[in-house]
Amino acid sequence: MSELLQKEIEQEIGANKILVYGKGTKSAPRCGFTLETIEFFNQFGFPFEVVDVLENMPKREALAQMTDWPTLPKVFINGTFYGDTDILGPMSENGELQKILKDTFGSEPVQKETINLRS
Amino acid sequence: MITNDALTALIREMLPDAEVEIFDRTGTRDHFNLAIRSSAFRGKPLLAQHKLVYSALKEALADGRVHAVELKTIATENSHV
Repeated sequence: MSELLQKEIEQEIGANKILVYGKGTKSAPRCGFTLETIEFFNQFGFPFEVVDVLENMPKREALAQMTDWPTLPKVFINGTFYGDTDILGPMSENGELQKILKDTFGSEPVQKETINLRS
Repeated sequence: MITNDALTALIREMLPDAEVEIFDRTGTRDHFNLAIRSSAFRGKPLLAQHKLVYSALKEALADGRVHAVELKTIATENSHV
């Protein structure tokens, strides 16, 4: 794995409290699971970023190695890897995720994103 | 593209007591919903449970037989087999 790529990923993870590596962008997701993940985080109202790695195979490979997780999307919160919405969904149902988000941001949500991606 | 039997066999190589429910999301036999019950999940965080399944599917994901998986894991009591 290239050191440069690893540094780039670490920098992105450090710069965004919620970071999604997915296929497509926040306003134009190009994969159903990436869309689901964006909709999932929209409901919490905390800011999050999506990095499109669809066409970037070396970066996808680096991410897979760093996380030991083969699929996209990949979600990082506060620098920790949490897998995808199959993990975050149950964590949200039992309140664990809300607690992590509150601890991460130190406050209640400040903004609600209301972009409707299905319109 | 992969059959239900082949998919179940891959998972059981990693998790011998696994009960696997498979739903073909798209009719193309490469996008699946999987619900997997196994005693190997006991005491493991969800992330570790899912990693076990993905390690079983590593090659099938890499070569495209399996394109996408929506995964649900359920820890069962110790098996007596």
